[in-house]
Amino acid sequence: MSDAAGERTNRLRGHALSILSVGVILIAWEAAARAKLVPDLFLPSVSAVLIALRDGIADGSLPLDLGVSLYRAFAGLLLASFVGVAAGIAMARSTLIRWFLDPFVGLAFPAPKIAFLPIFILWFGIDHLSKIMLVAFSSVFPIIIATYSAAISVNPLLIWSSLSLGSSRPMIMWRVILPACYPRIFAAFRVAVPVALITAFTAEMVAGGGGMGATLMYAQRFFDSPTVFAYIVTMLAVGLAFDKAMLALRDRFPSWRESS
Amino acid sequence: MTSKISIRGVSKTYNSDAGEVAALQGTDLEIRQGEFVSLVGPSGCGKSTLLYIVGGFLASQGEVRIDGKRVDGPGVDRGIVFQEYALFPWLTVRRNILYGPRVRHLPAAQCNAIADRLIDVIGLRGFEHRYPRELSGGMKQRVAIARMLAGDPAILLLDEPFGALDAQTRETMQDELLRIFLTMRKTVLMVTHDVNEAVYLSNRICVMSARPGRIVEEFAVNLDRSGTREAIVLSDEYNRVRNQVWLSVRRQVAPAATRA
Amino acid sequence: MLRSIAGATMRLLPIAIVLAIWQAAASLRLVDTAFLPAPAGVARALGDLLSGHEIRDNLLVTLFRALAGLVLATVSGVWFGIGMARSWVFNAIVSPLVGATYSLPKTAIVPLLILWFGIGSTMGILAVYLTCLLPIIVQTYHGVRATPAVVIWSAQSMGAGPRKMLWQVFLPHALPDIFTGLRIALGFALVVAISAEMIASTSGIGRLIFMYGESGAYDYMFAAVASVVIAAFLIDRALLRLSARCLRWHESQAVADIGAAV
Repeated sequence: MSDAAGERTNRLRGHALSILSVGVILIAWEAAARAKLVPDLFLPSVSAVLIALRDGIADGSLPLDLGVSLYRAFAGLLLASFVGVAAGIAMARSTLIRWFLDPFVGLAFPAPKIAFLPIFILWFGIDHLSKIMLVAFSSVFPIIIATYSAAISVNPLLIWSSLSLGSSRPMIMWRVILPACYPRIFAAFRVAVPVALITAFTAEMVAGGGGMGATLMYAQRFFDSPTVFAYIVTMLAVGLAFDKAMLALRDRFPSWRESS
Repeated sequence: MTSKISIRGVSKTYNSDAGEVAALQGTDLEIRQGEFVSLVGPSGCGKSTLLYIVGGFLASQGEVRIDGKRVDGPGVDRGIVFQEYALFPWLTVRRNILYGPRVRHLPAAQCNAIADRLIDVIGLRGFEHRYPRELSGGMKQRVAIARMLAGDPAILLLDEPFGALDAQTRETMQDELLRIFLTMRKTVLMVTHDVNEAVYLSNRICVMSARPGRIVEEFAVNLDRSGTREAIVLSDEYNRVRNQVWLSVRRQVAPAATRA
Repeated sequence: MLRSIAGATMRLLPIAIVLAIWQAAASLRLVDTAFLPAPAGVARALGDLLSGHEIRDNLLVTLFRALAGLVLATVSGVWFGIGMARSWVFNAIVSPLVGATYSLPKTAIVPLLILWFGIGSTMGILAVYLTCLLPIIVQTYHGVRATPAVVIWSAQSMGAGPRKMLWQVFLPHALPDIFTGLRIALGFALVVAISAEMIASTSGIGRLIFMYGESGAYDYMFAAVASVVIAAFLIDRALLRLSARCLRWHESQAVADIGAAV
């Protein structure tokens, strides 16, 4: 029997239980590692991981790797944004362009873009550019689709009233259509940012060339599990931080929120 | 003679973020077998809440007894129909109707007989294998009523069953409900905001006060329902009772209006 | 029938045009075929390999890993999602773990899994499993939570006990959301399976693509990539077909009926 009263107390109890659950897991982890229940290789103690983290930050290797990966991810994302938004709007405004791009978008969407990494390495080399291009390739499609669907659903009344108020066509583009697309484009970014990060990390894991992924694989090859854990935890924290940042950004600019 | 439904001292409070909200206060009501009782009153007075408590879906203070036994949960002795139809969208009309019988593992032959009979009663032969999404509001409500009747419950609980329908359909459905009630000898407890409907269908009307609700007035309705709708609605008795009930409800609404 | 063939051809025409331009550019030596093999060469390589088993076998290995992980994730994910939706205790205990994996780049666990399980199918399937759990859990949870109280109460008043409620009310109601999660998870499954192979494996199409790249057999490399893209497309289509069939009753299908050809 569902009851509003019960639900509210449960929510508070729930938060407490969640914190407890995380605490228990961390304690059990540390205890199991200390008691050598599992070989050090498989499960380094929490303290060992923290030490690896501290060392990595102290000698600058972790920040450097992180910087490289983030540079690649966001350069690729920037490229994808320009191309994606432009393509999405072009598809919305020209049936010819839409017809032309449609099969490519449809074919690329379900495809695992990581499979293209060797092709990009062939074209752009092993360093930054191939990874940036792969990130762009991976994140462009959600942006195209979101922009397109947002642009075609812009309320025609908005456009007509601007026209009647004397706006020129380019002005309408910048002042009416684009802003109306913000919520959906922003939602696509919430998807595209994690995709960009994953793609950058994975490309580095596969092909090396510096960055978080490369060092992670290096640590694994040398059975340095504290570093492996430390880097994974860092990736987790980075992913979390960016998502929280995006949510905060959305709250800061209410016009970006989807009106339902 | 023991009441079919016995409601004693039933009250309900909700815990919301604003503190405690009383929805119902100390309500008493005795309903005998074969009665058709309507609950009317201003919006938010708690009439639906009372119905849900009788149905066993909500907990409350006080007690509700059916045939002398305490209610502590939903049961097959009380069928229910909601304003929102609440059909199972993934089942066809026929399977919706047969949900109760199937749950109770009735033999196939019996199930088929029940389904065939009820589908004819509600006049939806030819639509048995359609899904709810293909039906109009009136048709969905008919299926909901048939589904309730398939379980052959002794008590019918109706929560604004025709509230979502247009005026024409509503009148048709009221006549069908009346016909079903007169032939099947069930006990009915109905919640409605439509005073005309209450007078047309019930032999007893309970008026509830504004929130927190309790029953403040009762009216007995002795109409000769053997005639046509025209005969009934145009009769002096109908209009006399109708005016009394309407005035009573209005008095519950008006104090709140003057306070605001 | 004829109309749908004509329709399909029209939709594929842009691809044909691009292929034609590509072939022309290659033939006219406008591009270095070392960097961009002519489609004709790629097609020949594809044909060679399809008849010679290599692409096919490796592709099947990859698909096996992806789909095995996906199926396991679906079964357990639905179970977790329902549990979390119905019990606030279970939800409180499990949701921080689920929430943590939300922000974790999925392939980051591969090196960890290699440490624990070595390279090979077990690691691959496990990586796919852990990745696909999340979307399925989240979608199942939402689908079950959104079950309207009036539907639950109707079922209860007709005698449905907790077991029947689970299979006959919560699960069907969550089905559309579960299929959405399945489509998302399918994308993840392929990416993670191939990534895991590229990072460290002795078999699979990811491995094969990389091998061709390293040995300079670019025709074959492009052909292998093309086979992955086509396979992914076909599987996705199959999933859409399946969900359309299972969700015949859903309101969204009314729109799909009008929209006709998928």
